[in-house]
Amino acid sequence: MTRRSASDFGLTLALIGTCTLVALSLRPYVTATNLVMVYLLGVVALASRLSRQVAVIASFLSVAAFDFFCVPPYLTFRVHDYEYLLTFAAMLAVALVISTQTARIREQAATAARGESRSQTLYHLSRRLAGQDRAFDMARIAAEYAAEVFQGCVVIFLPEEGKISFAQRSSDHLPISRGEEPVAQWVFDHGEKAGRGTDRQGDSAALYLPLIGAREKVGVLAFVGDDEAYAGDQTNLLELYAHQTATAIESAHSQYAAEAARIQMQTEQMRSSLLSAVSHDLRTPLASITGAASTLRSQGEKLLPETRQELLESIAEEAERLGRLVSNLLDMTRLESGVELRRDLYPLEEIVGAALQRMERQLAHRPVITRLPEHLPLISVDDVLFGQLLVNLLENATKYSPEGTPIEIEASSDGDAVTMDVLDRGPGFAALDEQRIFEKFYRGRSDGARGAGLGLAICRAIVQAHRGTIEAFNRTGGGAVFRVRLPLESGR
Amino acid sequence: MKPYILIIEDDPQIRRFLRATLTAEGYLYYEAVTAADGLNQVDARRPDLILLDLGLPDRDGLEVIRRVRESSQMPIVVLSARGEEKDKIAALDLGADDYVAKPFGVGELLARIRAALRRSSAVTADGTVLHFGRIEIDLEKRVVKVAGEEVHLTPNEYRLLQVFLRYPGKVLTQRQLLNEVWGPNHLDQAQYLRVYIAQLRRKLEADPARPKHLQTEPGIGYRLVID
Repeated sequence: MTRRSASDFGLTLALIGTCTLVALSLRPYVTATNLVMVYLLGVVALASRLSRQVAVIASFLSVAAFDFFCVPPYLTFRVHDYEYLLTFAAMLAVALVISTQTARIREQAATAARGESRSQTLYHLSRRLAGQDRAFDMARIAAEYAAEVFQGCVVIFLPEEGKISFAQRSSDHLPISRGEEPVAQWVFDHGEKAGRGTDRQGDSAALYLPLIGAREKVGVLAFVGDDEAYAGDQTNLLELYAHQTATAIESAHSQYAAEAARIQMQTEQMRSSLLSAVSHDLRTPLASITGAASTLRSQGEKLLPETRQELLESIAEEAERLGRLVSNLLDMTRLESGVELRRDLYPLEEIVGAALQRMERQLAHRPVITRLPEHLPLISVDDVLFGQLLVNLLENATKYSPEGTPIEIEASSDGDAVTMDVLDRGPGFAALDEQRIFEKFYRGRSDGARGAGLGLAICRAIVQAHRGTIEAFNRTGGGAVFRVRLPLESGR
Repeated sequence: MKPYILIIEDDPQIRRFLRATLTAEGYLYYEAVTAADGLNQVDARRPDLILLDLGLPDRDGLEVIRRVRESSQMPIVVLSARGEEKDKIAALDLGADDYVAKPFGVGELLARIRAALRRSSAVTADGTVLHFGRIEIDLEKRVVKVAGEEVHLTPNEYRLLQVFLRYPGKVLTQRQLLNEVWGPNHLDQAQYLRVYIAQLRRKLEADPARPKHLQTEPGIGYRLVID
């Protein structure tokens, strides 16, 4: 007999004793059949508190006590008046019906309450998982909440390529020895529970439940708790809990897969549009060169001297254009693959000077104004790359502003950073262009200007490699401003 | 007498256009396709100048420079691909006179060849007065004038200028300049060098941001242009 039923039995005896005392005190004034009510009251009281078994025992005991104390001759079970046998039968029947019914109602209420707390638990679980989109976060949250609800330690293991590893788990703390890894693996492989409280590997420290969603197995849940926690009822709820967690993780997986597929598709699209842009830009100058060269070869003598000169010019120019494009593509590839900067301290003036020297021919027909303060701090840059940035900005300015208009280079420092502006008097930017011009293969107002749309993308890549910023905006009074800001001391 | 130029280059198309342009300019030439053949011809024919491709099939072009410099100061102009600053610096430090980056135009190539040939024939006589642009330098009195006005140079600035004057038109690597002016213990102090160059430009150039004479070769060094 457990302690619980012993105390129940004691309570039963006490209550029936109390009923007997009340009955004895009433006995002189009330007919015996009415004293039955006192005992029935007691049985109802007991049934409302205790289990059905106890209530049945109480029913029999109360009939016995009634016979012994309230039916003459007193203090014996013998009965003179056989009419009382009918009373006993009726009393027993009523007591049994009342007690079983009361107990059943109570059990139903308890079941309902348990059911409610169960659905509450699952509801809270789904609420907590709803905000998450990563499988691992879900596992962590589900495990934490389970530990609260089930009063134990819960760890969820997510497999990597079909293998369960205790290293890949939802919480830092691992309440189980790593020796039980094979049990978890078995549970994952077979999709059945095992471990403590089950027939399989019952001597394990934890109960292992498979996490099975609608389509796939997503992991294993391990539970370590008190003995009582392994009762059928709790385990059922735990299994439901595991299923719900699995479904959520599964949906995260499929969302992830969908996202990956989308990115893959976008990358493919980008690659093919990049390829078509590049091949177009490579083929156009090649076509001019091939055409001009083959004309010169096959019809050289028949052509006018001016025409021959024109064709030669076009070969030289187009070859140069091709050369620029190829070096731009190489630069871009180099920058995107994460080039290592060779930074050192340089006077900005020197870099500006070298860039202007490289651009000498293109800048021959326009005034170039430089405004560089004499005491500008040295800047920490890769001189070749930073020079390339400036060349690209100057090239861009010559392309987009009419010949004869000035190009200006200005610099200043506020102590934290050096700011360098390249300004022109071209048409400036159409609305929103200034945000897109740094994208690869984007061409701004493309009337007449030719280029692959790589120059400014390279500029941005170079500036970012230096941890600086670059922006473009319209200049007051017309024209464009490209502003490069380079934090001082960065990268040192 | 027409100068002889040795072309060491493995690409037939480039050799073809070099032949055409050198002939047109009145130079004579020999050709070598490999480093080994090139070195043999250097010994056998003693050319006036070498045009050297760095990417040769049998050996590194740098090796050719090293071997030539063991016995001769004949001018070497390197043909190199763009973007390989390290190779250019290595070639210059080994004693190459100049480089032209592929793809290059004929004008640029001929200018480099002319400058290199001129350097090897003209020995700068001390005690003369040099003129270029608005600048006048009296090497004996150590007086520098810009547009007729005397300019004061610090001793280091003057020494730096002297190094440039010894190799007019030639690219000097940072390493070479540091070694000549400050000595071999200061080869890693390129910042100093840049500051001195900037000061020289302020004193000598009309617009230090667009220098006509003290030009920068990004990633490599500097060159004094006097024509």
